[in-house]
Formats: sequence, structure tokens, C-alpha cells
Amino acid sequence: MAVVTADMVAELSATGASCRLDETATPRFSVGDHIVVRNINPPGHTRMPRYVRGKRGVVQRDHGVFIFPDTNAHAQGEKPQHVYSVRFTPSELWGGDASDRDSIYIDMWDDYMDLQG
Amino acid sequence: MAKHDHTHEHTAPPSDPALRVKALESLLLEKGVIDAEALDEIIDTYENKTGPRNGAAVVARAWVDPDYKKRLLEDGTGAIAEMGFSGIQGEDMLVVENTAEVHNMVVCTLCSCYPWPTLGLPPVWYKAAPYRSRAVSDPRGVLAEFGVEIADDTEVRVWDSNAELRYLVLPVRPEGTDGMSEDELAAMVTRDSMIGTGVIQAPK
Amino acid sequence: MNGVHDLGGMHGMGPIDPEANEPVFHDEWERRVFGVVIATFGGGNYDVDQFRHAIELMGAANYLSTSYYEHWLHMVETLMVENGTITRDELDAEQAKLAKEAA
Repeated sequence: MAVVTADMVAELSATGASCRLDETATPRFSVGDHIVVRNINPPGHTRMPRYVRGKRGVVQRDHGVFIFPDTNAHAQGEKPQHVYSVRFTPSELWGGDASDRDSIYIDMWDDYMDLQG
Repeated sequence: MAKHDHTHEHTAPPSDPALRVKALESLLLEKGVIDAEALDEIIDTYENKTGPRNGAAVVARAWVDPDYKKRLLEDGTGAIAEMGFSGIQGEDMLVVENTAEVHNMVVCTLCSCYPWPTLGLPPVWYKAAPYRSRAVSDPRGVLAEFGVEIADDTEVRVWDSNAELRYLVLPVRPEGTDGMSEDELAAMVTRDSMIGTGVIQAPK
Repeated sequence: MNGVHDLGGMHGMGPIDPEANEPVFHDEWERRVFGVVIATFGGGNYDVDQFRHAIELMGAANYLSTSYYEHWLHMVETLMVENGTITRDELDAEQAKLAKEAA
């Protein structure tokens, strides 16, 4: 464990601690894929909000490879995998008469999704 | 995971956060885990040396320099670093452009993720339950609370920063600013316009 | 975990209520919490996923009735105790000592 001293602060602040990993992982999805978010309810840490579980969206962009928080938070490894920007419509997320002129974009790890069957 | 699950409710004093942080800071100093001068430097860095003026400089540069704007939209992290801004909570940036067709707005529904290098530390409302709960389900209602009305035929696109990407909105350059310098333009750019809960008014 | 921190889509949280000309910190103790957290995070005592999960575990009523920097304070107390840097007894004793001095 390092002790941060005053002369280290500028560099610490300007560098940060990226969770992006400089390694390759085979992406499970491509831009344009129609996906469905897994319906999981893990008792531990996850970055998958309840409001997208079981919902259908479309992959917009591949952000590259990142640490998987669901395992990393529990000392179960970084499990490197791709993160994607995925677009959802309001009617898919909220039902009813929500207008589909608008959209919600959220970032999803490989382990959060499946292709629509 | 059960071992984490102690809410440790204090009832009688010492319960107030001022006392608690004082106790923690003094123990960590005593054990040599933290350094007093470093703490002062950290606080000064984020209280006085970073803030929305950084993001405003990025926006103004993008408005006057089409090549920079292209780089900014393709590689947000790199283009923002060109202006000298990088690091904690801005390690991986994505810049999203507002146009007549799309209005972007950023939230973190799970915690309070926010692009520190360009916007500084987030305001209380951004971190609090009312904004975080409704931004994804009623964005136009939220915008109305900020006094912002978006045309019916414009798509409101909400970005939930649930992963490690941090989002900066590139607002629309207002009409009537053709002759303005980069510095004058930067002075017009508001924090909320870069979160997407504000739009920049044309100069009178 | 299906915690109260997962706020997207919930109703009943009230108006947004932005503060005009809001300062970066509202109180000296917020500055101290911020400094202690960045120093311990930057020193590698925990990572961002442990940080977030410690806040998720603070209890629903406690989470909703406390501010952002109180969440951070809870997190850093919890993680520094869990990693063995300090003990809960040491924290309690130091708090009691300071409370007595202030009384």
C-alpha cells in the first residue's frame, strides 16, 4: 500500500485508475445486434440496474475491454470482457404509452446480455 | 458477503460526520496511512483547480475548430487530454453532441458517476435520489423542472453512466455568436448544458 | 444486489431542487472526507468496485437519509476496518475521546 504524498497528488489526479484493460477478449456482440438483458438478481455487487433486466435493446457501440465489477468487487477476478453502449426504447423499459421518440443508452458488459432468440 | 452487512447505527454522540471523519483522519495519520499535506493538496485540487470551466474550454474549442470537434467526438479521452484535462473519473470519456435532432442528457442511476476532469465534483442534485430516479423514466419531466423544453420532434437521449465511461454533452452553439472569441464562447457554457439539463441561451 | 441505491425508475423521491451558485463543498467535514477517500483510494487501499459495494451495503433507510459524503464516510470507515488498517474499537475510542474534548 502506497502512502499518497503531496507531490504525488497532481499525477494521481491527472492519471486516475482506469478500469479499461489492455488485453484482448473475444466480444460476444457486434454493433447492430438485437439483445435481451439477462434477468439476474445477484445478492452481491452488480452494475446492471433493475430497470433493464429482461429488456430488449440494440448494441450501438463497443467500448472495448473492461474489468467486470460483479466478480471484481468480491475478489473473484477481473474477468475481462467487452462493454457496449446499448439503446433501449422508453416503451420497452416502461411500457404503457411511453413515447418512442426518445431513448435510453446504458453500458452493458458481455455477461449481462444474450442475443434475442 | 454477510460480513459487510453492518450498518453500525450510532445513536448517541459521537454520530455526527464531522466528529467521525476527524476520528478516522487522526487514526490514519497516526498510522502513517495518509499524509496531512497530501489531503490539503487533494482538497485544493478539486475545490479550486478543476470545475466546469475545464469542460467549457473543451466545448468552445470544439465550436471554433472543426478538426478538434471531430477528434473530440471520435476519441473524447484523447481530445480532452489535449486541453490538459484527464484522470480520476474521466479516465474513459465519451462526448455526445447535441443537434436539432438529438438532445443528450447524462445521469448515474446507481451512484453518482460524473466526469470530474471536465466538470469538477458533481452538484448535490445530481447525486440525490430525485434526479437519479426520474432521469431515465421521465426525462422530459426532469428537463421541465430545469426550465428546459425540448421540441417534440427532437429525440431526448438519456445516458446512464453505469459503467466506467463518463459522458460529456457538447451543447448546441447558440445563434448570434459568430464573431465571438473562444474565451467569450467558453464563458457562455454552463455546467448544466454539459450535463444536458440546460441549454445555452443566445446572447441578448 | 437489489438495493435502494438502484434508483432508476422509482417514484416518490421528490423534486430535484437545484441550488443556485452551489459551492463545491458545503462544510469543512465534507472536505476532510473527500481528502481521506482520495488519499486512501489513491494509495491502493481499495478499488472502485469495493468502494461502490460498501455504500450499497449501508442499509436502505440509512442510505436514503444521509448525504453523498456521509455515504463516502461510511464506505471508507467500513473498508479500512475490513482491510485491517484500523479496528472498529479504535474508531469508537477515538470518536469518544474527541467528543469528550469537544464537550
